[in-house]
Amino acid sequence: MYFPNEINLSRDGHRGKPVNPVQILEKRGNSMPVPHNAKPESEPALRVRALEAILAEKGLIDSKALDALVDTYEHKIGPRNGAKVVARAWADPAYKQRLMTDATAAIKELGFSGLQGEDMVVVENTPEVHNLVVCTLCSCYPWPTLGLPPNWYKSAPYRARAVSDPRSVLKEFGTELPDTVEVRIWDTTAELRYLVLPERPSGTENLSEEQLAELVTRDSMIGVTKI
Amino acid sequence: MLLTADIVPVVLATGATARVNKRVAPRFRVGDRVRVRNHNPLTHTRLPGYLRGKRGIVETDYGVFAFPDTHAHGLGDKAQHCYSVRFTAREVWGATASERDTLRVDVFDDYLDLD
Amino acid sequence: MHGIHDIGGMHGIGPIAPEENEPVFHEEWEGRAFGLFGATYVFAGYTVDEFRHAIEHIEPAHYLESSYYEHWLFAFEALLIKRGIVTREELDARVALLRKEAE
Repeated sequence: MYFPNEINLSRDGHRGKPVNPVQILEKRGNSMPVPHNAKPESEPALRVRALEAILAEKGLIDSKALDALVDTYEHKIGPRNGAKVVARAWADPAYKQRLMTDATAAIKELGFSGLQGEDMVVVENTPEVHNLVVCTLCSCYPWPTLGLPPNWYKSAPYRARAVSDPRSVLKEFGTELPDTVEVRIWDTTAELRYLVLPERPSGTENLSEEQLAELVTRDSMIGVTKI
Repeated sequence: MLLTADIVPVVLATGATARVNKRVAPRFRVGDRVRVRNHNPLTHTRLPGYLRGKRGIVETDYGVFAFPDTHAHGLGDKAQHCYSVRFTAREVWGATASERDTLRVDVFDDYLDLD
Repeated sequence: MHGIHDIGGMHGIGPIAPEENEPVFHEEWEGRAFGLFGATYVFAGYTVDEFRHAIEHIEPAHYLESSYYEHWLFAFEALLIKRGIVTREELDARVALLRKEAE
């Protein structure tokens, strides 16, 4: 979508630049790495390589730690964690009570805790209330339950509009709410981290907790969609 | 300290809370009507510009945390209460906003006065 | 500071246009930039607040046009140079060397 009269800042911050070949290959499920000489290394890539090399040479960082961090957030910590929390809350009323009283402790019961989730708050969607989470000032996000945020969450358009025109934002995600529903926007300005507890869809009474977790999407736990 | 791969999991699982274990008296209680101060420093703050001067109601007292405005500049944690404050969309954005929607913003004690 | 990052409520910013099945890191360097946060945080002694404030000083047009992890890179460079851990000259020289090697 290109709006000629507006600066399109949503595509990773670049003005109307085309999707790069690496993204297209990844979308096709092609796991072959792009050949080394397929495109010149970008300036940020060179600067990051330079910085990492210099700091490693000075003995200040260990590149293997960087490998571990990348691996953790690419493969181990992600929205499947939050989905398990939601499914447990749906299936177990006592757990849900603990989650609403002390979210940090309840989330830790399932093994999720720590960096950027030290102080959690769970906000519950009901037929009358729909919650939406944003960080207008930067990109604060509950990492232990949702992993790292998508680009759109961290970019100017979402951060500008979620707080002032949430319904148009929801519409962009295909979510329409009647005027009788209160949209509650949470701006993550301090160190509390918010997770939306979506409404449990009807007709799911006989599903196991595992099956319930499969229904829960990342976007529903940010609040831009319902399930 | 050198971060090595073997300690990455425990570092991540522990995190780095901004909570401060100090007894600090809150200036506000849940239910108080408050007005956001016209706080507009050139230095770091976590008060969004759109909130200055707006009127809201204290919904939750989250407890005592380091104050970002000082913490960002090596001026100490100036530990204080952080509150969830409720604002109506109309209060913040004017008459074109929804009459039902609300904003909940995490606001530090130093950003507020009683209304 | 009421800088460009303080963007809540601004008009005319454009569509959100979310990417489907977005990868965690779009390029390898983004993953390295992400890893550098944890690695530098533990030895350099800066706070997350200081890190955020460094990003707030990015020139406004550049802030809006550059990608998220470029903001992090800007902050690392600013904080580490300020602490005398690296110099701008060292970084520039290494970038020039890497660029030459790639040719």
